[in-house]
Amino acid sequence: MTVERKAPPVLKLDDVAVAYKVRGGEIEAVQNVSFDIHRGESHGIVGESGCGKSTVSWAILNFLGANGYVKRGRILFQGQDLVSKKGEELRKLRGDQIAMVYQDPMQALNPSMRLGDQLKEALTVHRGLGAKEAERRCIDMLERVYMPDAANVMRRYPHQISGGQQQRVVIAMALLNNPALLIMDEPTTALDVTVEAAVLDLIADLRRDFDTAIMYITHNLGVVARVCTKIGVMYAGEMVERGTIAAVYERPQHPYTQGLLRCVPKLGADKASSLLYPIRGRVPPPNSRPAGCVFGPRCDYRRERCIQERPALRTLANGVQVRCHFAEEIDPAAWQPSEEIELPTVKKREEERAPILEVKNLTKYYPVSGSSLKDVLGLGEKRQVRAVENVSFAVPKGATLGIVGESGCGKSTLIKTIIGLENSTAGKAEFLGFDITGDITTRDAKLIQELQMVFQNPDSTMNPSYTIGQQIARPMLRFGVASKAQVRQEVVKLLQAMRLGENYYDRLPRQLSGGEKQRVGIARALASRPDLVLCDEPVSALDVSVQAAILNLLLQVQSDLDTTLIFIAHDLSVVRFFSDSVAVMYLGQIMEIGPADAIYAPPYHPYTEALLSAVPIPDPKAQQKQIRLEGSVPSALNPPSGCRFHTRCPRRPFAPEGGQVCETTAPPWQEVATGHRILCHIPPETLRSFDPVIAP
Amino acid sequence: MLVKDRMTRHPILISPTTLATEAQNIMAENNIRHLPVAGDGKRLLGLITRQQLAMKPDDLGSLNVWEISRYLGRLTAAKIMLRAEQVITISPDRTIERAARILTDNKIGCLPVVEDDQVVIGILTETDMLQAFQEMLGLPSEGVRVTMRMPNRKGEFNKLTTVIAQKGWGIMGIGSFPSPRRPDSYDMVLKIPHVGVEEVQAALAQVPDQEIIDIRTVA
Repeated sequence: MTVERKAPPVLKLDDVAVAYKVRGGEIEAVQNVSFDIHRGESHGIVGESGCGKSTVSWAILNFLGANGYVKRGRILFQGQDLVSKKGEELRKLRGDQIAMVYQDPMQALNPSMRLGDQLKEALTVHRGLGAKEAERRCIDMLERVYMPDAANVMRRYPHQISGGQQQRVVIAMALLNNPALLIMDEPTTALDVTVEAAVLDLIADLRRDFDTAIMYITHNLGVVARVCTKIGVMYAGEMVERGTIAAVYERPQHPYTQGLLRCVPKLGADKASSLLYPIRGRVPPPNSRPAGCVFGPRCDYRRERCIQERPALRTLANGVQVRCHFAEEIDPAAWQPSEEIELPTVKKREEERAPILEVKNLTKYYPVSGSSLKDVLGLGEKRQVRAVENVSFAVPKGATLGIVGESGCGKSTLIKTIIGLENSTAGKAEFLGFDITGDITTRDAKLIQELQMVFQNPDSTMNPSYTIGQQIARPMLRFGVASKAQVRQEVVKLLQAMRLGENYYDRLPRQLSGGEKQRVGIARALASRPDLVLCDEPVSALDVSVQAAILNLLLQVQSDLDTTLIFIAHDLSVVRFFSDSVAVMYLGQIMEIGPADAIYAPPYHPYTEALLSAVPIPDPKAQQKQIRLEGSVPSALNPPSGCRFHTRCPRRPFAPEGGQVCETTAPPWQEVATGHRILCHIPPETLRSFDPVIAP
Repeated sequence: MLVKDRMTRHPILISPTTLATEAQNIMAENNIRHLPVAGDGKRLLGLITRQQLAMKPDDLGSLNVWEISRYLGRLTAAKIMLRAEQVITISPDRTIERAARILTDNKIGCLPVVEDDQVVIGILTETDMLQAFQEMLGLPSEGVRVTMRMPNRKGEFNKLTTVIAQKGWGIMGIGSFPSPRRPDSYDMVLKIPHVGVEEVQAALAQVPDQEIIDIRTVA
């Protein structure tokens, strides 16, 4: 046991306010933020977008841009005030002692330089090392961040490695100069769960071995629970709650923290037994924050004092700091949803219904043209990307099928093939008894009307120069759902169903927030009154509270209109919550399909098991098995022989012949329960004997 | 146990242009006594300790109060620091006893830890050494601390550990010292948790040729 020595914090923010100068005055984006981070500590900062998390991190390094400045307070790094530091001194600190990792690794890497040269630069410039020595150090560091084949990666360009590997290179680069402080701004948000899990493990290791202080900004409460020692919750530019992970998750004191935790579905929860409670309203913009408590307008416990008096950050008996007048009196267990939140009423259907969509052995290959002379003359071997292969499933009317898997597993291609954006190569797909494998131009307009899609990014699917009303009206007119005279009325009705007022009719997409845009995206998909809606990651880009609201909305729509949904998401807790049945895809094939509750308990496919073990759970006490997949998804151009998962399967030794068979023979479908099929060589009894990933 | 395991990583560094008054301030605020001065790439340029900051009254005596403030306003770390060539440093891969030896031989209080041609990666001070010493002997956990005097020959330590192993006890701290003024024996200090003094006394008294010279419960 080591004795804690009282050392000064590496970073200390003391009552910091950050302001931006704008036309007609200035806006205080961040107010009264105080916290400190010690050596070897990792401090999470969470909150919805627009709460000032990133502004704080930019303020530390004075990256605020021309119009931003630290208005009040002190930012002490190693005892020295950073606010007064000028260009040259700051530059030195950034290079030598403070490092940053941002969300998108491609923005931090130079696409035209080999990775090795970029990494070595940090050492040759800052430390004056020779090229040989620098090379050796870089390879060591890449191995330290678990990069497979490090020496080889040094010679590659950034686009030649996967996103997770890119992020590891960025982390390695940040650590090469052994910084005292590492600022990470949503470093894993853009990554797959499996890669995210590996990066989070890495961060925890590095904190221990390098004694680095880490400031970790994220919106994902599960990630914070996994890697951080302390958490600070920010709301509307203020720190509203701060304490150790154990204390805050065990007993969140601020109503906002409680609300955030209620927005995320617990892994294992489903829509029949639990509800998501979005926080009503939204984060106020900095120039129109309410007087008194900033969270007041969205708080269920608001009293007179909250309107009159701004609460101060005070320390409670359990060491948690909280900015609320009544923190001691609020009991989260006794909370009741306020009447302003609309909660969906989900009817549990018992009877078996006829399938609306039936897919059998659906296959989609993309031909790849080579560049050799043989290929040009058409003599070369034909090569194909096997994006989707032999996929079979059926969706009953009114049900939801969830599809999960890492990126590059063919989830999107599958639904694009179903909706007709891509032609299928082979197999059958029937929707309402009609064949939908042909070209979309040959499809009947009626059929097109019945199949609609909600996209991940509403921005890129809406015409920025059309008003919201026009965008929703278009499919209505096109499919003759409403006549010209009624269309406005119909659109308004739909907007209201999406909890958007009539005043949204004439607005342009840029005047809407992300959550509102996604509501419009859903409204447009529903405008033609389709029977089947395909949702491709509809909530991945949204804040947790907005995500909860959108999920509730979709549930309500589904139960009102009896719509069938196919729902793609990478968040396994969301899929579990939202779907009736789940299909797990890997490299173009469905590995496991079955009722949602069956998928999340043994027996599972080894791939499902690995995915579940990677999900960050917003509960620091959760006992989760640690199974990490090596490497990334192999190329679909040349998928592994036999079982496609055999190259990464952690359970391979359990298969017959010690796993030899996985390499040579394609696995059979094993029906482990009614409607629950697993594509694996391992006998179901063995699969059943594995412990559940998350200890009950 | 090597220097890199005991040193304080990421020490506070100042640049040579930092004013002496600010250096004094940083040391006082963070409660530290040694402040390495580093340039580009954390390369060691010098060291400031309390001694460097102790102004000689003779230097100031000739100045009036206005001149003092001007003098201090121009006094940078570079002017008062012990320059790098005079600073004794250590590499992270050496042993801590060697580090302790360097400290005592030179009668100094700290060693900047450097690698790659003077890049500062940590600092090792007297306090770190004393901390290591405490942990070595099992402070601050509770247990029975016993000092056994044993002859300096092979197999003696084995006799002692055999008895402890037979009892099923563990050892949480250990250190051996040459017995004072007895060139042929060693004093072995052991810390054994979760036992009573009497039990230990009874068990260890039977070890042949060895003698309990001190036994107590410490917390």
